[in-house]
Amino acid sequence: MIRLKTKLTLFNLLSRLVLAVLFLVFLPLIIERVNLRQVDFDLIQKREKVIDLISRVGIEPFISSDSTDAFGSYDILKEEFISLEKIDTPEDLNYIEVTSRMIEGDVIDYRVLNYSFTVDGQKYLLEVGRSLTSIQRARKNINRVLLIFLVAVIIITLATDLQYTRRILKPLGKITDKLKGISDPSTFDKTPVRTTTFDFASLDNALKELMIQIDEAFQKEKEITVNISHELLTPISVLRSKLENLLLREDLKPDFSVKIEESLKTLHRLQTLVNSLLFIARIESHQYLREDTFVINDVLKEIVGELKPIAEDKGILLRENYGQDFTLVRANRSLIFSMFYNVINNSVKNTPKGKEVDVSSSMKHSLFSVTVSDAGRGMAEEQMTNLFSRFKTRSGNETGGTGIGLAITKSIADFHSVEISVSSQSGNGTTFSFIFKENS
Amino acid sequence: MNVLIVEDEKSLAREIASFLKKENFLCDLAFTGIEASEKIAVNLYDFVLLDLGLPDYNGLDLIREAKKAGSEASFIIITARGAVEDKVKGLDLGADDYIAKPFALIELFSRINAVARRKFQITSQDIVLGDFLMEVQSRTVTCRGDIVDLTKKEYDLLQYLVFNNKKVLTRQQLYEHIWGNILDDQYDSNFIDVHIKNVRKKLNIHAPAPWLETVRGVGYRVVLDN
Repeated sequence: MIRLKTKLTLFNLLSRLVLAVLFLVFLPLIIERVNLRQVDFDLIQKREKVIDLISRVGIEPFISSDSTDAFGSYDILKEEFISLEKIDTPEDLNYIEVTSRMIEGDVIDYRVLNYSFTVDGQKYLLEVGRSLTSIQRARKNINRVLLIFLVAVIIITLATDLQYTRRILKPLGKITDKLKGISDPSTFDKTPVRTTTFDFASLDNALKELMIQIDEAFQKEKEITVNISHELLTPISVLRSKLENLLLREDLKPDFSVKIEESLKTLHRLQTLVNSLLFIARIESHQYLREDTFVINDVLKEIVGELKPIAEDKGILLRENYGQDFTLVRANRSLIFSMFYNVINNSVKNTPKGKEVDVSSSMKHSLFSVTVSDAGRGMAEEQMTNLFSRFKTRSGNETGGTGIGLAITKSIADFHSVEISVSSQSGNGTTFSFIFKENS
Repeated sequence: MNVLIVEDEKSLAREIASFLKKENFLCDLAFTGIEASEKIAVNLYDFVLLDLGLPDYNGLDLIREAKKAGSEASFIIITARGAVEDKVKGLDLGADDYIAKPFALIELFSRINAVARRKFQITSQDIVLGDFLMEVQSRTVTCRGDIVDLTKKEYDLLQYLVFNNKKVLTRQQLYEHIWGNILDDQYDSNFIDVHIKNVRKKLNIHAPAPWLETVRGVGYRVVLDN
């Protein structure tokens, strides 16, 4: 892909090069032709003068009937000459040609006008010539000057083009940056980009309108989720209280207790599901405050501390490896806790006995990152693509989760501008990486 | 103790009442805000369990009114609206605690008890658990003077069971009480089993603890005679 700026500049450069070549080829030819015409015109005028002179003073001063039969006159620089001679050709001559003449040892190209006329029954040939040396030299000079001029023009315009396109395309870059920088339509910067270009202004405006529309649709969806969740929580609450009260009855037969407990478990699944949806909707509509400042390694230590008994019981080694401390500001600690907890807990669940789970943090290129790797079953490519979408569990999930945990993790990460990536190979374990982009 | 249950979902209000009655509370019900407002003005309650999502009344206004009128009732807010602002506002107005729907009845009971202990400045008595002694103030369990090395979570778990003497608590209820802040979608009964196993192991180093029972297929229970 080529940048628009580069494309425009390249196109301009190319069109100028074509223009320059045309100039270099045709301009000297044109100038030469114009010059030759001028020369021809001069020659014709000179001829008129000579003819005029002859008609006034007669042919005698040039060619006396007895002594000579030719007359020639050159200027010192051999720029021009005039010659008169008697000829016998019967036809009239009147043409201009280019011939080489040898004059005092120099071969010089001349533009020569041949003209025949008759005086006293004698036919004469008048030749008026002008050297082409100056014209040829002029042509060479023009070529050289033109070349230098065009190269200079191309270089200068290339530089100004670059500057100018960069300048006029700046708003476009700003618009792209604005789009890149948003994690959610609501965070789109609605202040118009400063530009005098109509197209950019309308693009910016169209994007703004679109973002507002998308945002409204999102808000509506979130509202619906929240409302439905609320409506669902009340009946769940009623059912739960009823079942719990039943379970507390002392006259209850043991098999009834088991059935009631099973119902409570199912109800709890429903409750968790609704709560998770509500939780995600709340995170996405920014209902959680971000006003905690804390060290991430401490959160990890706390989680590992909580999960250690479980890991030990399963015979899994929970390995910790913390790098430099990193303090996160303007964050929500309990959300960040949940984010890591979900992933580490998942890893512990998915790792078989005798293997290990590794939790480590590090500071690289002033970016803080946390990785959680397990030695579990890993995932195939197609599982990874919808890993963070709701209700997608790994196939053959024995733990019976609702599959919403990673969706929660993702929404918390987005809320805090944390970048999550997963790498995994089927059978070779999974690694989750969290990169903290903000305030690092 | 007198409790007013303000809840527009009648069957839920009745279930809460039936549970609390067994715990020797005197319960009064109000299904609308107006009803509640009148009852609070007339009667003296120790506790008001207040659902914020009343159709006719902003629940928070009820707290405001009551506090203005000099009511000494403690408010525990119940709501499906787990929104942060509501929670903060409610506590700012002087509510004593906050519990989100759906909750376990024993969790509600434990919250009420906690508020009551604070309110009436009850110093918790040490509890005798067979050969063991639970010292509630210092949050330790000892056996003939030796401290049983329980983690914070293990102690909380044991105390919750002890406070709910003779009641079977499901793994889920225990889990919610201890890890309530964590939204674990893959709710894992194994968590509680592992912790109970560890608690037992630690107790058994000192003496047997037959009072900590497993109720097959349901959960756990502590049975003390006193």
